[in-house]
Amino acid sequence: MRIRFWLTLGLALLLSWALAQPRTLIIAQGTDPTSLDAPLATDSPSGTVVSHVVETLFEYTPDGKIVPLLVERYSFSSDRKTLTLFLRKGIKFHDGTDFNAEAVKFNLERLISPELASSFAFLLRGRVSAFEVVDSHTLRLRMPEPFAPVLAHLSHGSTGIQSPAAIRRLGAGYRDNPVGTGPYKFDRWQKGQFVELVRNEEYWGKKPAIERLRFLAVPEATTRMALVETGQAHVAVRVPPQDVQRLSARPEIEVVTTPSVRTIFFYFNQAKKPFDDVRVRKAINHAINKEEIVKFVLGGFGRASDAPISPGIFGYTKIGSYEYNPNLARQLLAQAGYNAQNPLRFTLHSPNGRYLQDIRVAEAVQSQLRAVGVQAQIQTLEWGAYLAASNQPRERNEFQMAMLGWGTVTGDADYGLFGLFHSSQHAPNGFNRGFYSNPRLDRILEQARVATNPQARQQLYRTAMQIIYNDAPWAFLHSEQQVTAIRREVQGFIVHPIERLIATQASFRTASER
Amino acid sequence: MTTYILRRLLTVIPTLLGVLLAVFLMVRLAPGDPAQLLAGEFATPETLADIRQRFGLDQPWYTQLGLYTLNVFRGDLGESVRTRKPVTYELSQYFPNTLRLTLGAMLVALLIGIPAGIIAAIRPGTIFDLLAMLGALIGVSMPVFWFGLMAILIFSVQLGWFPVAGTGTLRHLILPAITLGIGTAAILARMTRSAMLEVLSQDYIRTARAKGVAGRVVIFKHALRNALIPVVTIAGLQFGGLLEGAVITETVFAWPGIGQLLVGSILARDYPVVQGAVLLIAVAFILINLIVDLLYGAIDPRIRYD
Repeated sequence: MRIRFWLTLGLALLLSWALAQPRTLIIAQGTDPTSLDAPLATDSPSGTVVSHVVETLFEYTPDGKIVPLLVERYSFSSDRKTLTLFLRKGIKFHDGTDFNAEAVKFNLERLISPELASSFAFLLRGRVSAFEVVDSHTLRLRMPEPFAPVLAHLSHGSTGIQSPAAIRRLGAGYRDNPVGTGPYKFDRWQKGQFVELVRNEEYWGKKPAIERLRFLAVPEATTRMALVETGQAHVAVRVPPQDVQRLSARPEIEVVTTPSVRTIFFYFNQAKKPFDDVRVRKAINHAINKEEIVKFVLGGFGRASDAPISPGIFGYTKIGSYEYNPNLARQLLAQAGYNAQNPLRFTLHSPNGRYLQDIRVAEAVQSQLRAVGVQAQIQTLEWGAYLAASNQPRERNEFQMAMLGWGTVTGDADYGLFGLFHSSQHAPNGFNRGFYSNPRLDRILEQARVATNPQARQQLYRTAMQIIYNDAPWAFLHSEQQVTAIRREVQGFIVHPIERLIATQASFRTASER
Repeated sequence: MTTYILRRLLTVIPTLLGVLLAVFLMVRLAPGDPAQLLAGEFATPETLADIRQRFGLDQPWYTQLGLYTLNVFRGDLGESVRTRKPVTYELSQYFPNTLRLTLGAMLVALLIGIPAGIIAAIRPGTIFDLLAMLGALIGVSMPVFWFGLMAILIFSVQLGWFPVAGTGTLRHLILPAITLGIGTAAILARMTRSAMLEVLSQDYIRTARAKGVAGRVVIFKHALRNALIPVVTIAGLQFGGLLEGAVITETVFAWPGIGQLLVGSILARDYPVVQGAVLLIAVAFILINLIVDLLYGAIDPRIRYD
């Protein structure tokens, strides 16, 4: 009798202890995912969820390396126009079907097909002309010309390999029911509320410690913070600068800052006066105090740019930074014919709410420009209208100096430089919205695309960025930092510079470890 | 009565066509296009062309309108540009939540507003009246956004009584319902008070009192029922307003309702979803008005429908 009592008690205690251990990690994101189909998951919340379920051939690690993931090894032909991928064997999709060369071919061809209309089709479209299945686990990619960043592009989430059987079977329903090879399986999606994933017990790699992940959609920042403060969520993204101090003061919460590959800048429309004059562009650069903006407007959560791309991206080197020098700015403006009698006047465009403190940054720049006698008027448009206006062709483009941000999400300088500075990329064909053009730079960017040797590419990008710096097609500002609130009972949670959250290596600390 | 309802329902069709046309043109008159927003900073001309073709956005607007109208009458509201799911599916995921929140808010409004109005009316000029009307004034003037955040900070973060956000249980509903309902409660309180005051000064109330009817019976049976007509009208209108007004409350409490869907869709120029959601709200509004009209008859037997 007595033994039974103690046994029951012991069991009950054990059970309650087991129940007290949380099994679900709860992450509060800003919005609900839009689609969980990898090539259609364009926003960060969608990309984060998908990256736990679907894996890519290569991985862009948080410390900036491109390493094989679903690929065991790979080789380039001597002319660099053929890439052979040897896939890992013995991997199954969550629906039990095999991961093989056919599946990879299916997914990559699907990504570039016009019918799918993926925003990321350009990653491979025109770069790869044929996908040839050599054997069950070997695939050959034929390229019309060598394309050095191809591995980086195959690390992008939109190139994730998903189950062809599931895509065929579910049709449009696949978007709410992704099937990949990843460490977590899709469980359910309560629209507008949360997506829940469950650990893949048959995962081919290291199994995660946490059984379930729940991604909440909480648009209001204050509410997101309240969730972490009360322990109703373990992680909350995008801590507002004004809340950082309050949250950091709480012993159970850690506020983590991670650099982002997103660079914020003003571009100059060089097709028009006054910014067709390099002296004016340099003057503006010298008139802007980047450090002060980072410190006071961003609350320290940013990094003043010293190159057109940010650290952690292949090809980055520190190029330099226009020194804050109002006198020099005034001199340059005088040389260009602007003075107190004939002040430089123009409209400064800025989005409002797209980037961290964007309109505040524009206001700071406006007042710094005023100090050197430049009269800039700020105009802001709603984001949809803003994008459309900045993407007008040269004749119809009304923007003079405008703020934009660019995330080099492939981790390769080509993505951060070619589309933004090559003269073939003038709007609306590409992202060169200031109509900047320098034939020498064009040649170097083209060479860096086809160069085989990484050191040689590094060197080419250094030269390219030096040219860009000297031509000053941008008023350089800063790269953003991601500020995330994480409860202390969670360890191993990773915030990736490409604005993805990674929970695969996370675990809960036991009470004694805390 | 049946003919009346049928006639009323028939008038819905031109109203809906008008709403449809207005929304259709309005979303297209706003600058920015869905393909551009979907592709974002990464847009290449091919991508934009793909997306436009995929969703028929490369067609002239009148073709789009014609196709859309035809499809609507077949019960097909199109496909969301953002999520690429049928709009009817999207609406079915979000609308029930909005309905729950709105009903909850209406309940809060009725339970607070009408009793407060009655108390204020039967004791005019006293401290009760003063407190009720002061409360109503505060209730009307308080920004929903601020009230919601304060409610979270006090009752969820400090006291831990309610969950911060989300849905699922009744406890999830309480703070959002109060936040959304408090403004309407204030309006109903003022409305009830003035209607009651007017009725209480009528001769038949004096007669009832003179012949010795108990005070409570006079208030509830003789006065309240007669004061209810304007209150019901306002409550009905407010109910429609709550449906649309839930946007802010839904954002603060991460409540997955039609308001959140609508805001997200407007920002992404997700034309089909914006059109579908507005149509749905319009239908709901029309139905509520119909119900209110029918309620008049139940409250006041003198009102007939022929």
